[in-house]
Amino acid sequence: MVLKDLFLGGKKELEVIDKMKKHMGFLCSACTTLKAAIENRDKELISSVSDLEREGDIVRREIFSNIYEGAFLPFLRPNICRFVEIVDNALDVTKDAAIEYTDLELDEETKDDCARIADISAKMCEMLLAAIETLSGRADLREKSLAIRIYEKRVDEIEFDLIKRLRTKEIKNFWEGKALSDFIHDLTSISDLIEDASDYLQIINISLR
Amino acid sequence: MQPIPIIASVLIALSVGSNDTSNALGICIGCRIISFRRAVILFGVFVLIGILLQGRKVMKTVGKDIVEMDLRILGISLLVSAMLIIISNWKRLPVSTHQVIIGSLTGSGTALGADVNYGSLFEILLSWVISPLAAFFASLIIYRAMEKTLSKLPFLQIERIIRVLLLASGIIIAYTTGANELATILGPIIHAGLIDEAWAFLGGAFLVFLGAVLLSNRIIETIGSGITALDPYSGFAAQFGAGCCVFLFTSLGMPISTTYCIIGGITGVGMLKGTGTVSVDLLKKIALSWIMAPALAFLTCFTIIRTLT
Repeated sequence: MVLKDLFLGGKKELEVIDKMKKHMGFLCSACTTLKAAIENRDKELISSVSDLEREGDIVRREIFSNIYEGAFLPFLRPNICRFVEIVDNALDVTKDAAIEYTDLELDEETKDDCARIADISAKMCEMLLAAIETLSGRADLREKSLAIRIYEKRVDEIEFDLIKRLRTKEIKNFWEGKALSDFIHDLTSISDLIEDASDYLQIINISLR
Repeated sequence: MQPIPIIASVLIALSVGSNDTSNALGICIGCRIISFRRAVILFGVFVLIGILLQGRKVMKTVGKDIVEMDLRILGISLLVSAMLIIISNWKRLPVSTHQVIIGSLTGSGTALGADVNYGSLFEILLSWVISPLAAFFASLIIYRAMEKTLSKLPFLQIERIIRVLLLASGIIIAYTTGANELATILGPIIHAGLIDEAWAFLGGAFLVFLGAVLLSNRIIETIGSGITALDPYSGFAAQFGAGCCVFLFTSLGMPISTTYCIIGGITGVGMLKGTGTVSVDLLKKIALSWIMAPALAFLTCFTIIRTLT
């Protein structure tokens, strides 16, 4: 029984990796939906982002439960949990950005920039999803991490220009300004969090080498 | 006088069971590779296999080659050894069972004017010096080899292989605990003719198992969690290096300490990662204990016998 567990085991670990991919998949879908909502000014899609966030929460709990049941060496568990928490935070801010967007009326130029940021965030998610797959395969994780960093830099550049332009824009009242500021902040935080998650994945990957 | 050496051996065997299970399978239990119950059974089984297959050489060295054994030497030596080992465990001071037993036997033999074989004693002392150094280099080589081979595999595969390797190295340590540690305890009483070899093997292995079942739980939790929290990769290299080293010295009939070999292994891996990771102060304390334990055992036995006679 012991030897069977040992040699044929690894099911718990594979299950966790699969759930991490599923969790990441929800983030990808949430970013893509947010992008579509911004691009098409379709506020009906916002509720889908909230649903994805809720489903992500369920998967996060399942991952923690699998880890508690003994998946992975204890040495690796804190970093794996931290990675999952960061992805979950990214889902939370995506949902927050989506909710804030419901009350906003963006001008064409701002809408295009925000859609570009959401698009890059979605691409970063796909790259991070591919990076998770390298844990069970032979592909190089460093290339994916580098691509994520490049994407994040691009988001920073768009954010810099966007904020510079928005500062010259007239705001009708405090709440309109706050909603816009919070929306931009949350939208650009998604890429920051994905980059953080990618760093943790890199730590997990090298910690057994 | 006859029951005293046997009672003392029983106490030492129980103490080995309580402390050395953590040397062998503490990491595996800490990593939840194996449950405590299964680990203790596995430990007991491999201790028995160890003493059955390879215990005789070390038993001969300790029981026959060092000092001309008589009941007084045996009684005082093992009683003092048991007391020193129990006190040091109680005070949480690291001492080697081998060093205490051999120090005690030599001290008693010298005090009673028995024929002490200084040639054998010198060989044993030399093996105490060489074995941690051998473990140091073995662990260093194993770590480098793992870096060149294992590190190139995918993450999940490495995780699985490390689990298997950690269990394998734990089994080697359990085996050498029987073949070396238990043999050191049983050697004097078997060669003095106080107990039949087959009964001594079975009884000794059972007592080590009993010590593991009853007393090792807390120590395993501390050591297992402590070590694995550091790094299972280095932990394996240190433990496997130490296991191979004890196995080699056991084949040569030399009674050496598994704990000191593991310390040598950990230091080797630490040096490879950078000298800053090695605590020189801690190594100084361990070196002091390395010198003090046999010296104290020698002097205690010598003084007791000189006072009594």
